[in-house]
Amino acid sequence: MLSYVIRRLVWVVVLLFLVSAVTFVIFYALPSADPAKLRAGKQPTAALIKSIRHQLGLDKSLPEQYRVYMAKALPFDLNGKGFPLRFKTPDLGYSYQNSQPVLRELRQRLPATISLTLGAVVVWLLIGIPIGIISAVRRRSILDRATMTGALVAISAPVYWLGLVGLYFFSSDIGKIHIFDGAGSYTPISDNVSHWFGSLLLPWIVLAASFAAFYARLLRSNMIEVMTEDYIRTARAKGLPERRVIMRHALRSAITPIVTVLGLDIGILLGGALLTERVFTIPGIGLYAYQGISNADLSVVQGTVLLATFFIVVANLIVDLVYAVLDPRVRYS
Amino acid sequence: MRMSRLIAMTLGVAAMAITLAACGSSNNNSSSSGGGSSSSSSSGGADIAPTTGKKGGTINVQSSETFEHLDPGQSYFQVDYVVVYAVDRPLYSFKPDDPSVAQPDLASGPAQVSADGKTVTVKIRDNVKYSPPVNRTVKAADVKYAIERGFSAHVPSGYASAYFGQIEGVPSAPTNSVPNISGIETPDDTTIVFHLKSNFGATLAKALSLPLTVPVPEEYAKSMDAHNPSTYDSDPTKQAFTGPYVISKFSPSGGVTLTRNPNWDASTDYRPAYADKIVWKTGGDSGVVGRQTLAGTNTLMADGPPADLIKQAYQNNKDQIEFTPLGSRYVALNTAKGPLTDLNLRKAIIAVTNKVAMNLVRGGSLIGVPGTHFLTPGQPGFDEAGGDKGFGLDYMNTPTGNTVLAKSYLKKSGYKGETLTIVGAKEDPAPKSTALLVSSLNSIGIKTKLIQVPQSTMYSKFCGVPKNSPDICATVGWLPDFPDGYANLYVPFDGKAITAANNANWPQLNDPKVNAAIDKATGEADQSKRNQDWADADKLISEDAPAVPWQWSKDAELEGTKIHGVIDLWNSDWNLSFSFLK
Repeated sequence: MLSYVIRRLVWVVVLLFLVSAVTFVIFYALPSADPAKLRAGKQPTAALIKSIRHQLGLDKSLPEQYRVYMAKALPFDLNGKGFPLRFKTPDLGYSYQNSQPVLRELRQRLPATISLTLGAVVVWLLIGIPIGIISAVRRRSILDRATMTGALVAISAPVYWLGLVGLYFFSSDIGKIHIFDGAGSYTPISDNVSHWFGSLLLPWIVLAASFAAFYARLLRSNMIEVMTEDYIRTARAKGLPERRVIMRHALRSAITPIVTVLGLDIGILLGGALLTERVFTIPGIGLYAYQGISNADLSVVQGTVLLATFFIVVANLIVDLVYAVLDPRVRYS
Repeated sequence: MRMSRLIAMTLGVAAMAITLAACGSSNNNSSSSGGGSSSSSSSGGADIAPTTGKKGGTINVQSSETFEHLDPGQSYFQVDYVVVYAVDRPLYSFKPDDPSVAQPDLASGPAQVSADGKTVTVKIRDNVKYSPPVNRTVKAADVKYAIERGFSAHVPSGYASAYFGQIEGVPSAPTNSVPNISGIETPDDTTIVFHLKSNFGATLAKALSLPLTVPVPEEYAKSMDAHNPSTYDSDPTKQAFTGPYVISKFSPSGGVTLTRNPNWDASTDYRPAYADKIVWKTGGDSGVVGRQTLAGTNTLMADGPPADLIKQAYQNNKDQIEFTPLGSRYVALNTAKGPLTDLNLRKAIIAVTNKVAMNLVRGGSLIGVPGTHFLTPGQPGFDEAGGDKGFGLDYMNTPTGNTVLAKSYLKKSGYKGETLTIVGAKEDPAPKSTALLVSSLNSIGIKTKLIQVPQSTMYSKFCGVPKNSPDICATVGWLPDFPDGYANLYVPFDGKAITAANNANWPQLNDPKVNAAIDKATGEADQSKRNQDWADADKLISEDAPAVPWQWSKDAELEGTKIHGVIDLWNSDWNLSFSFLK
């Protein structure tokens, strides 16, 4: 098990390097905007642009630019000789748009994104799993049909649209029925817990809607399949209560794929829920990425992509490890 | 042109950024001449006049856009200017309702331009103090340092070389430390003298209203300016302020809070500074922010709402919306190469284009009307240029397109059925206005090939690079940096302004008569003569038919129910020092 984890961790590092290289090539070698020209301002001469390009290191070869970028981004000094490695603060560059260091921005924005993600996860699990179970157990009932129809609608509704509708109907400032705090009300949990909770309630529900629907449908189909297995019949034949059969035997088996999807979804959302953060003005990684893309701010795009990749590969690793706990048949060596 | 909502919102942020090359700013409105204008906003019912207001309270401001640079040395964005002009004092600035006359701000009187136009002398007030922790009186040397740092690589100014590049001794490229510019002298603590390479003095005097002239204390900022980029920008709460407010809180993701500057002396300033505190939140969807503003009480929206909300507010909340002029949009016709070097073909295109229809897809007359020449409403010289009617050129006075006239010009031209390449932006609603242009051209038998790309690509790969420039750039726009014909006409239409990259003379017009007329106007110090000179230059440009001026744009401003927002007409955005709670 330990060797497996170590091997996976090595692969995480390799994958991060690969992704960083790909994004570097995409955003630096094939740029939509030239940072040197952006900085050159009005009526630049060729000499001026050349000078700025030199100052920004953009006149170096692409591999050299990548080496310099990674040397700054790594948490240890590549130029140090031998071991132990000299650790340092990583530097992901700064935004050309507003001169802010990218790493500092990511650190400051991460709590908002974590708050949004984890809260939404709780909501969609609390909604999706019971619905999935009930729909599977009461297959073809009115309840099953109603929830699955609702799930289809929720999956089909773009989160951006759903967010706007939610605000226009239920927010305390521009809504028709004043229930939830409006956009832009996000308060860090460290400032005020109740305001934090209130400001995120509607974003959690909106973000969770399609996930809850998807999880409900996925769990329902898994459960229906599992409920026909021999060991379920055996459990029933042994006289176990139906509740115990469902919750202890069927659900444990049916939920394994959910764990896989959940891990990846968490990883993706920690990399930034762009649209939800944009609609509700939550100053997280997603809004930062949105602004970076809108402004062709290459350092910001690169930083947010790397962070998203990190979360996804780590989430993937955790999912694989949890698998072994949930499913005794899975053993890593 | 400076970043503005014109670009940032409707033309596309990235595009503008790339074209920083171009314009600058603002826009004003008004009508006028003489230096002036008066003018103002239109249509909405909000009362935005600067009247005596109530002191105290907190003004809330919201914007979909986030700040870019609040360091006055780097600031070059309409929304940033709203904050910068509330916390800083440049040498000159404008009263909200009069963009025609620069008010001495840090300066104690008008700039003195020498007879040969090569020397400009400015006296500054001797009683303006910096906010804590600097706490000392501003000296002329601080203005010198402020301008010099704009030529440093650490404080990249978007316009320093364009407007201050004529000062003797400016470096040809950004330096790694703040350079000493020999052409800026400070013989004493209240006098600053600019020595110029040419007779640019009258125009430099206009540019002294830009934020680059906001004083920066060298002994305080030097260590911050040693970083690249300068931390004077990345943490604006550490700046030394001279205006009525200071930036007391700043979050790149959240916004700013302005509170009163304890060292500001009202007797030295024309700004009333009514509110005690200003809380500005940034980010979010512009539709949501706009609706929150309409539903709120003491809130101003600092960037433009979407078209649907403009219409809704105009119908249902007329006293909460106001419109102000905001630059122009035009279709640039390549005068340097290809079929459009033919003047009559260009005139045919201008004549046949249905400008009213193109305006309709962007929201109709609420947000713009067809132009008839290139000085935009409110700019000094606009009235001398014939105002709304222009110079009476038949092909320019065809708002809905005139097929008969267009065909007559087409017949006179040497057009032999060549296919004209059109490059336009693909962000909505640009494709709709481009489609209308194509339809107009096709209606008189002009063949076209359309390429639609992201706005940023349109500028960076095509229209801003002369060697790649297509026959027609369909969706370009211009916003002057300050109220003067130079900021309006020089870069977009003077042959000397054509650059290999970031070019903003999109038609690549290089007519010696136009260039000479612009030179004449640039050197003219007498305001009324200067206005006439700019009108004359505008006439020559219009006669060259280098573009279809299909929209003189307007900007919409939203405010809450219990706030009296006052608009800076030169910037087409709120003036926080004049706005007050009802």
